[in-house]
Amino acid sequence: MGRFRARAALAIAAIAGGLVLTLRGQVADLSRLQILQNVGLTAVDEGVIVDQSHLSGSPGSARRAAFHATLEQAGTSSGVARFRPGRVLVRFRDEASMAERRAAVRMASASGEIGTRPSYADFDVVQLNPSEDAEAAARVLSQRPEVQYAQVAHRVRATMVPNDPLYATMQWNLPMLNLEKAWDIQPAAGSTITVAVIDTGMAYQNATITATIPAFRDDQGTLYPALGTVTIPYSAAPQLVNAANAGRIIMPFDFVTNGVRPPLDFEGHGTHVSGTIGQLTNDGVGTAGVAFNVKLMPLKALASDWDVLFGAATDVGGFDDDIARALHYAADNGAKIINMSLGSSGPANCATNANQPECSPVIEAAMRYAVGKGCFVTVAGGNEFEDNIPPFGTNPTSILAEIASRVPGVVSVAAVNRGKDHAFYSSTGSYIELSAPGGDVRGFGLAGAIYQQTFDPNFTDTFLLPPAQYHAPRFDVMGFIPYQGTSMAAPHVAGVAAMLMQQGVTDPAVIEEVLEKTAVDLGGAGRDNTFGFGLVDARAALRGLGLAK
Amino acid sequence: MTRIVFLLLGLTLAAPAAAQDEPSLSIRPFFLVTDQSFAAVDTFDAAFGKTYFPFFGGGGQVVFKGTYFVEITASRFQENGERSYFSGGKAFKLGIPLTATITPIEVTGGYRFRLPTLPRVRPYVAAGFGSYGYQETSSFADAGDNVDTRHAGFVVNGGAEFRLHRWIGVAVDVQYTHIPGILGTGGVSQQTGESDLGGVAARFKAIVGR
Repeated sequence: MGRFRARAALAIAAIAGGLVLTLRGQVADLSRLQILQNVGLTAVDEGVIVDQSHLSGSPGSARRAAFHATLEQAGTSSGVARFRPGRVLVRFRDEASMAERRAAVRMASASGEIGTRPSYADFDVVQLNPSEDAEAAARVLSQRPEVQYAQVAHRVRATMVPNDPLYATMQWNLPMLNLEKAWDIQPAAGSTITVAVIDTGMAYQNATITATIPAFRDDQGTLYPALGTVTIPYSAAPQLVNAANAGRIIMPFDFVTNGVRPPLDFEGHGTHVSGTIGQLTNDGVGTAGVAFNVKLMPLKALASDWDVLFGAATDVGGFDDDIARALHYAADNGAKIINMSLGSSGPANCATNANQPECSPVIEAAMRYAVGKGCFVTVAGGNEFEDNIPPFGTNPTSILAEIASRVPGVVSVAAVNRGKDHAFYSSTGSYIELSAPGGDVRGFGLAGAIYQQTFDPNFTDTFLLPPAQYHAPRFDVMGFIPYQGTSMAAPHVAGVAAMLMQQGVTDPAVIEEVLEKTAVDLGGAGRDNTFGFGLVDARAALRGLGLAK
Repeated sequence: MTRIVFLLLGLTLAAPAAAQDEPSLSIRPFFLVTDQSFAAVDTFDAAFGKTYFPFFGGGGQVVFKGTYFVEITASRFQENGERSYFSGGKAFKLGIPLTATITPIEVTGGYRFRLPTLPRVRPYVAAGFGSYGYQETSSFADAGDNVDTRHAGFVVNGGAEFRLHRWIGVAVDVQYTHIPGILGTGGVSQQTGESDLGGVAARFKAIVGR
């Protein structure tokens, strides 16, 4: 979905006549970004932030999308990057010798070389000349007898739809899951469970960032000046991590920089998602989280605009190989729940033919690996219900959610609004398994959004200001910001799953079975393509069954 | 068990001959202890971690001409366990307290055999029906979550009575009960596919009367 949304956004940008050249051909340059960890002040908490520029469908929202597209265009030499150029992800059959593997690669690509296998990967990366057609090479490789699967590294995106913050009735979403009674059953709220959040990172520690920010042109062609080397304050979200619970952060890792930098969130999405899972609760401040005592494992696999401008990444978003590695990493380092509020669009028949463009067998294999290690995985169901994405049409299949539906222990999550009805953006299909609150401002206004603590975009999205007002961002001003999307729905289920695992259901497939059987049926009787098995009921899931009832 | 049987046989053989005099009609109260193996093995194992449980109760018999009898029995089982899930042959206990109570009321009619060589031993068989109360309560229950119901079932049993004294006897038998309608439509029993609350029980009765 994300990669195709990027296409649409690029078209808008091109019509506007402003494609940026300043950063074209840029490669990641981590020397431009230095992070002094644990040096910095605590965040300023502004409470609820009112920012009309983040309303879905507003000029500000369109501008933001165009800017993303601009950075993507500038950050890659191949223009529109549906996938990471210059690489094919290959799982060779075990019985294939190295000579046979190399021969297979040579059949597919003149420049192809099998690279050193990256950490936390059960696949190899074949490096190609970036100008070579990686999809064609993947197609040829996938048909070789030595190969189990071969694919390009598709781009994946966060699935949230940014929204305008206007604090009203904030957390209708948690009572909708019957959480108050679930907390009665389990006051510890997941305290022994580690939840990995594969996302844009997390605001989990204070830091002082030194970054060299180059000039760029925005989607309108307007030149933004270089800011030179600037010092940027960065703070942990105090409703996620504070002095009393600093130990809740487990094994953080940044797959965007391959571990060179800490997985700090420069976008806000990952921090918001993490808040829904485990926002501090009962402390008299802000909002609540579902499993508010869980341990959190920040795994950054999605890059943001600032990651590109800081030189830490070439593209906004993430790629299949990083997602797959993050799944392995989480499973190997003690995570028991993994949330993936991200996705991509593709054909509906990846289940029967995984070796075709847009399918992601590498992620399917990684999901199965994670489940095999005892991890339960939640995947956002997709936000493309109203989107027409050629060649897949309106409401295309969400690839990762479709995989989820085929792997016991991995669930795809659709979004409902505060009326327990279909959220207007939430993708539908036979792959939808569960529903949870995702927010929906259409018909409900901002009272229909999901609020959690994350960065105040007025201090982070300075690239949306006029050049004269443009300045370095600061990541130490937090507020309770309304979001909507299946990105917001999935972490609700991840939190409930963490509590269920703590309650004693340790088998991921059984967790899925329990959540589906205890869900409140919505829509037509039984499972349907809009709500799956229905709305998660935390209390029913945690309370379990007696002998007769 | 074998020791008990031999002990009873010994006591029976040692009992006075007068104990064998049987009236044409006698009414005999008794106390009852049973050890029941429930048919719903996976269901009970998921909730309680075992499937054998005692019932305690009592009842009365009316014996006609020492041969035919009608018996009414009331007993009670209560056990504390945990709410749970069952999947793939494995139970997942949730640590939420649960108490199950079964209160059978059974009426049977039977026939007592005579053994010419062992006049103090009276084998018997019986069959009948019962009304089985079932209550299930657990923590964090909302209105309507607990169970309080009663269903009918049937029962057959067979064993032997040993006369220890003119006014005292003991009986050991094996009883099979089938109780549909309580399990199988919800809860763990639905997951396990078990719908019979009955089972097989070894029963011991201490009988007062001739």
